[in-house]
Amino acid sequence: MQAIDHYAWTNRWRNRHPLEKLLPALTLLLLTLVLPPLRIGPLALAGTTLATVGGAGIPLKTVLGVLAAPAAFLLAGIPFLAISLSFNDGFSLHFSPDGLQLALETSVRALAAVGCLSFLTLTTPMADLIPLVRRAGVPAGIIELILLIYRLIFVFAERALTGRQAQAARLGYSRFDRGLRSTGLLAGNLFQRALARARRLEIGLAARGYAGDLKVLQLEWPLSWPRLALAMTLVGLTGLASGWI
Amino acid sequence: MHIAEGFLPPLHAAAWTAISLPFVIFSARRVTRLMHDQPQTKLLLAASGAFAFVLSALKLPSVTGSCSHATGAGLGAILFGPSVMALLGTIVLLFQALLLAHGGLTTLGANVFSMAIVGPWVAYGLLRGTQNLNAPLAVSVFLAAMLGDMATYTVTAGQLALAFPDPASGVAGSFIKFIGVFAPTQLPLAVVEGLLTVVIVNFLREYSSDELQRLKFLPEILTAEARL
Repeated sequence: MQAIDHYAWTNRWRNRHPLEKLLPALTLLLLTLVLPPLRIGPLALAGTTLATVGGAGIPLKTVLGVLAAPAAFLLAGIPFLAISLSFNDGFSLHFSPDGLQLALETSVRALAAVGCLSFLTLTTPMADLIPLVRRAGVPAGIIELILLIYRLIFVFAERALTGRQAQAARLGYSRFDRGLRSTGLLAGNLFQRALARARRLEIGLAARGYAGDLKVLQLEWPLSWPRLALAMTLVGLTGLASGWI
Repeated sequence: MHIAEGFLPPLHAAAWTAISLPFVIFSARRVTRLMHDQPQTKLLLAASGAFAFVLSALKLPSVTGSCSHATGAGLGAILFGPSVMALLGTIVLLFQALLLAHGGLTTLGANVFSMAIVGPWVAYGLLRGTQNLNAPLAVSVFLAAMLGDMATYTVTAGQLALAFPDPASGVAGSFIKFIGVFAPTQLPLAVVEGLLTVVIVNFLREYSSDELQRLKFLPEILTAEARL
């Protein structure tokens, strides 16, 4: 989590207008879902990796780390697509070639889709992305709520980490039942502190005349139409190229 | 168990999004009204949402030694009620997709349906139902959190079965396969989450009943006199 957020704020494309990254990434994501996966998948994965590593200057190791996250899900699901269960003569399991094909297509599609998503999250901080959804009709209050949650996640994550280290140092995780109790106490404590934090924020804001909306300065980057057009053309070409192969 | 980005075929992804949308919109309306009536609710909800995210990222002690995570849906439903959880859960799932690469944008609808809608409603229904039967609070909370978890996994297995029917035995066979994978791995996890939720609720009742009373949308069960 820290890694994704760190690169989102420090990468080479940080100062580009978020729409220049969001629009191509979402379009490519849509294409990987709709077009035949075995054709578009490798192209999309290569394209997004190239853009993330070559363009935004994010280490390849980090990109691979993000791609590995859904790998566990794929590993759990794939064998069960390739094995077929039949009730015809009692109850039998057998290997199915169609299932294997489906499993292969699904994993390639999922990896390519994660590639698109990780390009977006590694190059664009959430704080830049979320205001964009306001145009999609999400009420301003909900957007503020989302941004507040984004901020507080990091505050609480640090506390959770510190608390866990302190518990571990006191042998709080030395046995299964102790671990369970420690985790419960940690979570309960965290919730208590979350409520206390909310109350302090409330008092602090009330003292500054808070009446329901938080006024913050939103950094505005100039939107470069040529860059956006170039990115969309590349995405379009990727889609077309997949029909050729 | 989050369904990974791009795992569902496009039609299924779109259908689950369409199914989840009315619930989330209803929840968003309710939350907007709550925040409008009482501006400080926004901060409370924000703290709760961030808490839910961090809770879901806490590693659970696991029997097999593998790393596993709590869903927090049961606790959320107990503390805030299911109609608020639909929105909070959606926001948490969005952050999990974007910050942790767990789940995804295209599968958000399917994940919201299993984790932010079905799980919390089942947990809440069980909590209410067992409380009406005068069950001890610890038993109610355990059942709510554990069966809420199980409901989530069953729905996820159903979603995967619908998307990938077995070539020989169709959706039913596929459902049995996916449940077969989930049962041995997720059943112990659901029990652990049930126990964990009991520990958390007991801790909160003991040490922060004042704060709990500030949660206006909290079922009165938790703040009422102990019935342990």
